[in-house]
Amino acid sequence: MTTFQMNSGIATAASNQLNPCQAAWELAQQLGHEHLGFVLFFCSAEYPLDGLAAALGSAFNHVPMSGCTTAGEITPQGYDRGSVVAIGFDRRVFAIETALIDDLDHFDLSRAQPLVDTLLERCRQQAVAPVNEHSFALTLLDGLSSREEQVLATLDAALGRIPSFGGSAGDDNHLTHTHVYAEGSFHTRAAVVVMLNTRLPFEVFSTHHLEPLAHKLVVTEADRDQRRVLELNGLPAAEVYAALVACSVDALSPSIFAQHPLAVCIGGQHYIRSIQRVNNDASLTFYCAVETGIVLTAMKPAPLLSDLDAMLQRVQQRLGATPAIIGCDCFLRRMALESLQQLEQASALLRQARVVGFNTYGEQHHGMHVNQTFTGVAFGALPASGG
Amino acid sequence: MALFQLAADSDTAADNATLREENRRLRKVCQALMERVESGASPNSAPYAAFERSVLLAEQVRERTDALHRTLDELSQVNARLLAANAEAEAANLSKTKFLAAVSHDLLQPLNAARLFASALETHSLPEASQALVGHIGRSLKDVEGLLGTLVDISRLDAGVLHADKAPFAVSTLLDALAEEYRQVAAVRGLTLHYVPSSVLVESDLALLARVVRNFLSNAVRYTEHGHLLLGCRRRAKGLEIMVGDTGSGIPKLQRQAIFLEFRRANQSHSGHSRGLGLGLAIVDRISTMLDHPIMLDSRLGCGSLFSILVPYAPPSMAGDSYSARATPFHHWESDPLQGCVVWVIDDDPAITEGMQALLGSWGCRVRAAATVSALEAASDGERPAVLLVDYHLGEHRESGIDLASRLRRRYPGLATVVITANHEAALKRAAREAGMHCLLKPLKPLRLKMLLGTLLENHA
Repeated sequence: MTTFQMNSGIATAASNQLNPCQAAWELAQQLGHEHLGFVLFFCSAEYPLDGLAAALGSAFNHVPMSGCTTAGEITPQGYDRGSVVAIGFDRRVFAIETALIDDLDHFDLSRAQPLVDTLLERCRQQAVAPVNEHSFALTLLDGLSSREEQVLATLDAALGRIPSFGGSAGDDNHLTHTHVYAEGSFHTRAAVVVMLNTRLPFEVFSTHHLEPLAHKLVVTEADRDQRRVLELNGLPAAEVYAALVACSVDALSPSIFAQHPLAVCIGGQHYIRSIQRVNNDASLTFYCAVETGIVLTAMKPAPLLSDLDAMLQRVQQRLGATPAIIGCDCFLRRMALESLQQLEQASALLRQARVVGFNTYGEQHHGMHVNQTFTGVAFGALPASGG
Repeated sequence: MALFQLAADSDTAADNATLREENRRLRKVCQALMERVESGASPNSAPYAAFERSVLLAEQVRERTDALHRTLDELSQVNARLLAANAEAEAANLSKTKFLAAVSHDLLQPLNAARLFASALETHSLPEASQALVGHIGRSLKDVEGLLGTLVDISRLDAGVLHADKAPFAVSTLLDALAEEYRQVAAVRGLTLHYVPSSVLVESDLALLARVVRNFLSNAVRYTEHGHLLLGCRRRAKGLEIMVGDTGSGIPKLQRQAIFLEFRRANQSHSGHSRGLGLGLAIVDRISTMLDHPIMLDSRLGCGSLFSILVPYAPPSMAGDSYSARATPFHHWESDPLQGCVVWVIDDDPAITEGMQALLGSWGCRVRAAATVSALEAASDGERPAVLLVDYHLGEHRESGIDLASRLRRRYPGLATVVITANHEAALKRAAREAGMHCLLKPLKPLRLKMLLGTLLENHA
């Protein structure tokens, strides 16, 4: 049981109790207070989810909550597994409203706009801070729905100038069931939109540590609905990729994918397209949308720790000491750190910057679904009252 | 580019099969790229297209944000420069004010002496040519004094050192004297002044209010070619409106704001009679703000202008109970009470004591002037003084003129005292008034001194 609390309107806590009731009780012990207005949590997919949902509901006495399952947690102490981490928001500093999108296939602008308007209106009624310039949206999506791009693009259009970020739920690399939590229970093929309106200064950020190489691959055949690339440069995709990274097709694994990512280049910026797995037909399934005719650039990792450190420093330079940062960290980054045996050092950096969050199957940043990034929101200290 | 690096190795084999294979792959690549290019522009709902749109949108947002940040940066730089410039301007203004105050003060002392000497000289029997020259010198000195007084006033107002000293008084105390003065000034210009007296009690700072009405009158004289001037009052609900009217050229609507700014004068200025700095109405404006007495201006082009100031009535309880109200009109001193009376003058500046001796002597007074009381008493042969004129600032490490006078008055009870000072602070005037003394400001105006002496000696008698 770990806890970290500050007089900033945000408190964070974690529990590694396997029993859902005990875990929920521990979190409630640490976060519960009379002004607790909302709880955001990220839990291991190992928990019996129905049991955890019920336990959290009663432990927090029906304070509104949202969350999702993870591919690893970031607790106040750093990286962890098999635990649950939670963030408590003070209603005097935050107005928070949530909406569940349970039909990802038919989420168009005619649904997105009223959804966003309703969230903003409810926040406005709580009169915590002006809604414009003081709000951002957090999105939690089912990481295996393959609907992230359309949902995000639609939502982003409705959000307009309101910044947004988020992550795709994970399931400890089993790639079978990922869940988001809203309205008292867990859901699959669904998304949660959390609108946070706050008096705290904040900054939404995203960083990655990868640099482009000269190698280019053209996707010559793809199945867009399955996010599968069948052919690269006119040859079976897995073979071409294996040759590129100089190993056999059989040896391809998530850790290889993490170390040798591919990216698309749009407007001079590189956006990572992470490989999820190799299929029996030598096709590659990705964590994000692919299309016939896109050009993939081979990427190589730069030192992750120094990039992470630099990013956290920059944020703290702008905001001062951060009372909390909510981070969505791609699970492939964690995998890279594990293989480099740098997980402890990364945990230390995250701990110092008071980061909590989870390992994702994809991150969301301003309506973009991206991979292998560290994306999140950093909060600053409450401005002096009356100022 | 290393796109087909994998094929390159087998390229050396150069057999037909390899070339055919490469050809097939190239065609596939071309086809895929063409497909992509062609679908790129169409608005479809494919997942990758959605992602691409989001990226481009985010790109645009980033560019706009960057542009916005740059603009904000530029704005804040401009703002910083403006702040610095403003601070500089304020500092310059402050130093200008201080400089003016200091220079004016230093000029006032010798000017005061020069005026006294010139006045004394006029009473001497001189050849006619010399008499005229002395007259010119006197008038020139008076002009210099007027200009300097204006500068002192505006610099004091700007520096915020001038504070209102409000007291109840009969408005006639002020207006009778001004009417008398300006009737003569107007006559010189071939104008007539109509004065409608009023004895209403008002509450204001007599000196500052006098300055306002005087400036109105000066302007009226300056800008009226022919016709007449009017000085009078009208009872309003909120106070007494003191007004000065003229039959001058009038002020165009557009200029009515601007004439209250410094160094502005209405278009038509009369050559030979424009010895002003254009500060008159700027002073009026500042004093009006300070006293909280609204200024009003009505004007019709070609017909004339009417300037007025609204002064609050004195509270009824104060009526008839103030020193100012006691002050009687001074225009009947035919019997000349000054003749032969003993006037003591204490000033640490020998030029002033000499000048005063000459001036007061020319009015028939018996003057004893010195820098200290002991020197004075030694020279006075045990004579009882009728009036004491004392400089307030008798040099460092010495008591003030008020303290000295208080000491003397214990020895000579009821000694009429006039404190003379270059210090325009209201507190000093109040201190003098509370001690039962009168206060005159430097540069000393001989006529005003003479009238005050007349009043004091009459009351004394």
